[in-house]
Amino acid sequence: MPHDHHYDPLPDTELRVRALESILVEKDLVDPAAIDLLVETYETKIGPRNGAKVVAKAWTDPEYKKRLMENASAAIAELGFSGVQGEDMVVVENTEGVHNVVVCTLCSCYPWPTLGLPPVWYKAAPYRSRVVRDPRSVLLEFGTELPASTEIHVWDSNAELRYLVLPQRPSGTDGMSVEQLEELVSRDSMIGVKLADMPA
Amino acid sequence: MAALTAEVVPGLVSGGASARVTDSDLASKFAVGDKVRMKNINPTTHTRLARYVRGKEGVVNMHHGVFHFNDVVAHHGEGHQNCYSVKFTMRELWGEGYSATDYVYIDMFDDYIEKLS
Repeated sequence: MPHDHHYDPLPDTELRVRALESILVEKDLVDPAAIDLLVETYETKIGPRNGAKVVAKAWTDPEYKKRLMENASAAIAELGFSGVQGEDMVVVENTEGVHNVVVCTLCSCYPWPTLGLPPVWYKAAPYRSRVVRDPRSVLLEFGTELPASTEIHVWDSNAELRYLVLPQRPSGTDGMSVEQLEELVSRDSMIGVKLADMPA
Repeated sequence: MAALTAEVVPGLVSGGASARVTDSDLASKFAVGDKVRMKNINPTTHTRLARYVRGKEGVVNMHHGVFHFNDVVAHHGEGHQNCYSVKFTMRELWGEGYSATDYVYIDMFDDYIEKLS
């Protein structure tokens, strides 16, 4: 008689995380409250809305944009965003003729203070291996079609620099406030797989 | 007491630890605009020399400064080198049929690079 339990087995990753957590806690290396706080921090405080503030300020304040392009880490820290995985930032600007996109082919390096933790696809082998070889097709899969005349520049953050894309400001946004502009800036547009959203 | 407590989390998250070496007098070996080739070496230990650029020719695009050298630090050693952004065409990396006007930029340390005359 088979067991009549309807429990789904835990996915491998979750099992591994639970095993690691329990052993670290049992050995008194990690306080569970620290894990809760880390999760809460990256769920509610540190994420792509930070990066959107950087982008909207750069769109509306030419002096700020100049500082951002010259010393990105310092200019981003002006807005209060700094720390782990954002210590040494480089901002790359999309223009009429150049579109930038960021990857880490070796693992999953990503600018945490401005974008939060990376999405699963960013860490997955298909994105990492394909975007350095055929970025145009990868961008199409994200719904981003660029003119053939636009150069695509792929940035592999394989060392200690972390890259943030400054998307182009969409047309038809002249009268918009900084807060309204922030709403047009998605996480994906700052990785470079999409453009900034058009105003509704 | 646990090594990682809730009290230390905010400092850890907001502080970070830059790998940049600010007090080094190490001269840069390559200049922006230099034509360079990545060495075709195959370390069995940690390296940031991605396989797909080994033996490939590009141009130095930016000098980032001096950073801890991951290949050594990963094995508990100490060392630092200049780090540069090097630009390659898709055609150089992937061959015929790939774009000569789309590019990959990757961050390379002194030891990975040789200058083309």
